[in-house]
Amino acid sequence: MANQSSTRKEDLVNKLKTRFPEAIKSSKIEGKRRITITFDKDKLLDIAQFMRDELGFDHVKGVAGVDDPTHKKIEVLYFTGSLSIPEIEDIILVLQTELARDNPTIASAVSVWESAHFHERETFEMFGVKFEGHPDLRKLLTLDNWDGPPPMLKDIKFPEMGQR
Amino acid sequence: MVFGAMYEGIKHIFKRTFTLKYPYQKPLLPKGFRGRHILYLEKCTGCGICAWICPERCISFVQAADGKKHPQNPENRFPQYWYARCCFCHFCTDYCPTGALDYSPDYELAEYDRELLVWSPERLSKVPTNVGNYRSVFHGNKGSMGVTYEPVEKQPKT
Amino acid sequence: MTTNLDQTKPPAPPITITAAKEPSTLDVSVGPQHPGSGHMRIIIRVDGDYIVSVDPDIGYVHRGCEKIAEYRTAVSNIPHLERPCIIDAIHLNWGYVLPIQELQGVVVPPRGQYISTIAAEMNRIMSHLYWLAINAGVFSGHTTIFMYAFGDRDLFIELAEMLTGARLTYSFLPPGGPRRDLPAEFQHRLLQLLGYFEKRLVEYDRIFLSNPLVIARAKGVGILKREEAIKLGLTGPVLRGSGVKYDVRKVEPYGAYADLDFEIPTFEEGDSYARFLVRFEEMKESIKIIRQALEKMPKGPIARKAPLIIPEGEAIGRVESSRGELTYMVKGDNSDKPSRVKIMNGSFRSLIAFPYLLRKVHVADMPIIYGSLDYWPLEADR
Repeated sequence: MANQSSTRKEDLVNKLKTRFPEAIKSSKIEGKRRITITFDKDKLLDIAQFMRDELGFDHVKGVAGVDDPTHKKIEVLYFTGSLSIPEIEDIILVLQTELARDNPTIASAVSVWESAHFHERETFEMFGVKFEGHPDLRKLLTLDNWDGPPPMLKDIKFPEMGQR
Repeated sequence: MVFGAMYEGIKHIFKRTFTLKYPYQKPLLPKGFRGRHILYLEKCTGCGICAWICPERCISFVQAADGKKHPQNPENRFPQYWYARCCFCHFCTDYCPTGALDYSPDYELAEYDRELLVWSPERLSKVPTNVGNYRSVFHGNKGSMGVTYEPVEKQPKT
Repeated sequence: MTTNLDQTKPPAPPITITAAKEPSTLDVSVGPQHPGSGHMRIIIRVDGDYIVSVDPDIGYVHRGCEKIAEYRTAVSNIPHLERPCIIDAIHLNWGYVLPIQELQGVVVPPRGQYISTIAAEMNRIMSHLYWLAINAGVFSGHTTIFMYAFGDRDLFIELAEMLTGARLTYSFLPPGGPRRDLPAEFQHRLLQLLGYFEKRLVEYDRIFLSNPLVIARAKGVGILKREEAIKLGLTGPVLRGSGVKYDVRKVEPYGAYADLDFEIPTFEEGDSYARFLVRFEEMKESIKIIRQALEKMPKGPIARKAPLIIPEGEAIGRVESSRGELTYMVKGDNSDKPSRVKIMNGSFRSLIAFPYLLRKVHVADMPIIYGSLDYWPLEADR
């Protein structure tokens, strides 16, 4: 960690932007170790392959869904990190994209990052996001014969727990 | 090598074990132990901050029925605790602005009747009397596990 | 919301990641009613004495932590979010307040950072003693180490009771800093306990780590190579037992770790015995950290006041819990309740290691591999 250049985060963002000029919509660098990149959802597999092979981001720490009913979208965030390259091993790079709320589908990243297997299963079950190409997409945490709506959406309210 | 492991187990046959004979010998709980709450009726103003901060929402307000006048509490409202829900985090004790709530080493709160788990303000204001007096002592490598419990009066002051 | 509890509808069939069903195999459920499985079900497909493939069926203790966290204020969330892994409560608490403090702009004073560090390292020793007793001891049949480890863990619990007031459910770190200062005789009793515990670690080594029975069961079993551990995204002692030197306390220092001097134990072999050794050495390093922190403790205030509102924005904070890198993402929208809390913990990330490691092993190797991963079902299910 002694020979970290001061512009390593900007270098990573610039490499991504030159390679995918129209798929990367915006980027944000915060603090010392956080990068957020907003991208177009159709290019997930290309961007993921480039990040794994060229930039060295080799694993996924988690996949989160965020429901936004006022703007009629569901956001999916991939938290990626690097364990093989010491110069960037402390950066968390968040890949963020938007999906339509009534039919959220996106390609599955399991073919590139195998560590996203169980995280994508959980996001499928909790938000209803369909990951195309996932080898084993079924429910993980809820009851085996649960057929209600995805639980984490903001439509599901618990009025007995107080106001939200 | 297996004899080293067996020796470790067998050597305890020849040592005395120690058991703290609860409920005849009770451990001395440190100051600030988070047992049930003590309410000082002469300090509570009925502001409601304890009920607002409680994570489990187990505090509600009732009128005090002890017949005394409390000039600092004009509406005569005092908190009532429902211990079936309380998680004993004591955020209420820390956030109380007048210091009307306090910690106590009382943890023996089991009841046979569920309604008795709702503690009225008068019942909360009684200070508990059943405190323990045994504390752990380290003996280095003597004794069975190297630790026994002895009454606090017999221990040297640290 | 409709739930269909009609029992005549069969549950989903166990489809495993790797092998298709052959006529000579049998599906056995190492079920939730099993003393060696924890709060989860592992459906193993056996062919004679060999496990062909495995399907972990989790969700038996899922209670919707992330959904409930949206209904509770920032401070009320602390007793709620520390419950998933209650034996490691300080780390779950600290990981949650780091992004909240970042959004609110609150800085904890140095004495508060040192007190949080001492509490966190004591909690790491307690969690590793629980692992040693149950996951490495009882699951493999060694009940003597279960008695020893739990007896010594109780002494640490007494000291935590002196510091925070509670034995296990601390709720010790609201946003702004710890709730209490060190009591008067805490330092003396903690140093006494550490001296006693170092001698006990020598005894644990003789009865457990150097025991030829444990070595025969654990050495060479469940080998995880370095590239595979990185590709699967594992974390914590599982990663360090495969030769990757990665610890959040060195990569992104929080608390007082930037000023303290400690090592990251790493072993190259990648088998279950290496993962056992990593946790043993971590306990010794924690003793070193606590001694240094007690010596270097600065004076001053311990906490600052924090506002009641979480401003708008998104923040990520992480700590090194006993089971790996624990990452929280908190999203605020200018109210007193967070609008989204996402928890990524070490146990859920270790779930991918189950179908990967438990292939072509004997059935008797399964408790050893499961124990070496230190999977805590409540934390993974939330």
